[in-house]
Amino acid sequence: MAMVMDLDFSNFTYSGTTTTTSTTTTTSTDDGCNWNNWSPLIDWEALSGDQEDFHTLIDSMIDHNVVLQNSTWPNTQEEYNSLSPEYTIMSTDDETNSPDDFKGLRLIHLLMAAAEALGGGNNKCRELAKVILVRLKELVSPNDGTNMERLAAYFTDALEGLLNGVSGGGKHVLGGGHHYKDEHHQSDVLAAFQLLQDMSPYVKFGHFTANQAILEVVTHDKRVHIVDYDIMEGVQWASLMQALVSRKDGPPTPHLRITALSRAGSGRRSFSTVQETGRRLTAFAASIGQPFSFHQCRLDTDETFRPSSLKLVRGEALIINCMLHLPHFSYRAPDSITSFLSMSKTLNPRLITLVEEEIGSTSDDGGFVGRFMDSLHQYSAMYDSLEVGFPMQGRARALVERVFLGPQIAGSLARIYRSRADEEWCSWGKWLSEVGFQPMNISFANHCQAKLLLGLYNDGYRVEELSSNKLVLGWKSRRLLSASIWTCQDI
Amino acid sequence: MFHPKQKPISSSISTMNNNNSHHHERPMCVQGDSGLVLTTDPKPRLRWTVELHERFVDAVTQLGGPDKATPKTIMRVMGVKGLTLYHLKSHLQKFRLGKQPHKDFHDHSMKDGERASSLELQRNVNASSSSGMLGRSMNEMQMEVNRRLHEQLEVQRHLQLRIEAQGKYMQTILEKACQTLAGENMQQQQQASGSYNNNNNKPDISVIKDFGPPQPINFPSLQDLNIYGPNNNDQLDLHMDHGFDNFLTKKRPNPYNNNNNNNNTAGKSPLIWADDLRLQELGTTTAAGSCIVDVVDHQIQINTGGDHNNNNNSHIDHHSLNSDIIYETKPMFNEHSIIRENNKKLERPSPRRVAERMHHAAISAGGTMSQGRGSPFG
Repeated sequence: MAMVMDLDFSNFTYSGTTTTTSTTTTTSTDDGCNWNNWSPLIDWEALSGDQEDFHTLIDSMIDHNVVLQNSTWPNTQEEYNSLSPEYTIMSTDDETNSPDDFKGLRLIHLLMAAAEALGGGNNKCRELAKVILVRLKELVSPNDGTNMERLAAYFTDALEGLLNGVSGGGKHVLGGGHHYKDEHHQSDVLAAFQLLQDMSPYVKFGHFTANQAILEVVTHDKRVHIVDYDIMEGVQWASLMQALVSRKDGPPTPHLRITALSRAGSGRRSFSTVQETGRRLTAFAASIGQPFSFHQCRLDTDETFRPSSLKLVRGEALIINCMLHLPHFSYRAPDSITSFLSMSKTLNPRLITLVEEEIGSTSDDGGFVGRFMDSLHQYSAMYDSLEVGFPMQGRARALVERVFLGPQIAGSLARIYRSRADEEWCSWGKWLSEVGFQPMNISFANHCQAKLLLGLYNDGYRVEELSSNKLVLGWKSRRLLSASIWTCQDI
Repeated sequence: MFHPKQKPISSSISTMNNNNSHHHERPMCVQGDSGLVLTTDPKPRLRWTVELHERFVDAVTQLGGPDKATPKTIMRVMGVKGLTLYHLKSHLQKFRLGKQPHKDFHDHSMKDGERASSLELQRNVNASSSSGMLGRSMNEMQMEVNRRLHEQLEVQRHLQLRIEAQGKYMQTILEKACQTLAGENMQQQQQASGSYNNNNNKPDISVIKDFGPPQPINFPSLQDLNIYGPNNNDQLDLHMDHGFDNFLTKKRPNPYNNNNNNNNTAGKSPLIWADDLRLQELGTTTAAGSCIVDVVDHQIQINTGGDHNNNNNSHIDHHSLNSDIIYETKPMFNEHSIIRENNKKLERPSPRRVAERMHHAAISAGGTMSQGRGSPFG
């Protein structure tokens, strides 16, 4: 099954510009994966037309599905195979897998149609989206089924949330992902976090790459001060402390000071959680002999970062640590990040470490549907990687999906939907270089560490040095996370 | 053995500096009062002696390698009078290009005597081979390969220690969460613990046997740790090492002791880092409190957590491992056996710890345990 799913998704490029938009399906993708042509459901070319036409198209598709389930299996499949030689190879001697696989494709089409209907904007479109979503909900459940089915279930829920949010003006949906941490029991979150770390390199990749860069710039310092944008449980710093106490050149173990930003409210970034993290880190540091102190920097509700509220000590090496978009992190408003990074610049830090998600390059001009498909592709890669990581552990995976990925999907779709075409997405790395931060080179050791780390997990992960200051973690052909390092000082 | 990284320093530099065809001519040199050796050319050039180069390399290493070091910072670190930015700039450039011998971290692990003798050796080798450009570049390539290999090994060892540290930290978080919840459900758990323990002794033992890779394979030896640990802080590394040992060897068997002999209250609770913290926060009264227990000659702090509440907790953690869960996760580790074989030091997260985590997850995912106990996560 995994193999077939691979074919469906991971080796597959959703080109946001053309294939994902049924209204323009006459053009084909550049890499040969033209799924409009091998759609099992509909002759897309015949049905393509202007925006108004897709209603019938969707209807026919839905009708098709119903029929399909009852009687037309063999026929459609034959047609499908004939259109996709690759697919034929995969499926001929494994007939039992075909239905699942086939269903996966159908789900993609339905999701796409729903997204498109939702993107249409008017009431008629919304009605249509509703119908499609109802249909989708019949087909999938987040708790069981194949990867694709579970993924589709979360996307369905997210779209439904958007739909309801739009009609009801629901603020909570647009803020999606903001409060989800609180919805789960803290122990669920921790267990899922732990599982995520075991199943995939996503967490450690970001932390270790940043930490290695930090270690390399403070080899000589007696005092190190790290300002952490989002400390959460503080897991990143245990390994840094370990490395600091065991370094063998330079002066004796430097004094490490961490200032964590904390926010009002409750949840994993609240004042009290951060305080507890501080206590835990202090205890850990004491246990390994790392001189350490911990501070909080409380942010107001608007999350404006005021450097004046930091306690700075002359002679300290100042590091800015900014972990964004790791799978276990919730969404941060761009304003908050901008405020943090631009204010940080005035402090002239020696190093800025940044971890963020990699967004598909085609997403900008694809509109809502294009970005929707990009997001679908991204999460499917992630689901795929987690499935390979723990093939037999459905429940563990389900927990991670429920606690982290599901809410993230909802949040990211909400943002895509809200921003539509009017805002150009740009990576924080790009932003940093535009506002005058200078890239710093990733060392050989750091690159090597990332490779070794990935080697501990399954085949399929890979690391790329996309530019001299940036390592990218990908699953198969899909880039997912990047870690980059920057400075404000003259090198 | 990685030989000759040290190329004919004197000859190569001076010929390069002279930049003329007289390869065999050594310019006359004078030694300045700062110890620098300068040629007697109309334009005096610096001779990079072995000693000077060594200081240079040390400085570069301190500064994080040739790519991080800058002439300015090197000058500051070396602190040699008379050395100018100009000298350093060109030398660093050559160094970066690999024209100059790389002297890297593994030199530091050599004993001084070895280093001296290898320098001696290098001089001899260099004297005989300096004529052949081809030989030299082959040599350089090999050196480069060696250097990278060594760096990789180094990174590998560091990586493992970092993963362990992170895992251990994570463990403290999970244990805390577990205990907090367990505190809430103390009554229930006490009721359930009796029947539960009896049922599970055997399967659990077999599980441990199946998953007991010998310790030496899993963990760096003490010597290794000492190499990388700071000289002034051996206890720390031992502490770390035994901390992990403790998780795997001490911690699990403990519940058995406890089951078989309920009066035994010592040494059965998990090793934790934040013992003081946790005791305070839990507000539990322990029979023994925390104390220092001497384990295998090295001091290691254990929270003895003598109360039943704690004990029950560790039963949950370690006893109720469902063997299905463990076997399912097993293949994952087999895939990485190559890494283990290649370098026994590096390993992925311990199967047992993973199994334990899986267990946490299974519980919190809403599954019912075979024993029908309440979940520690509620």
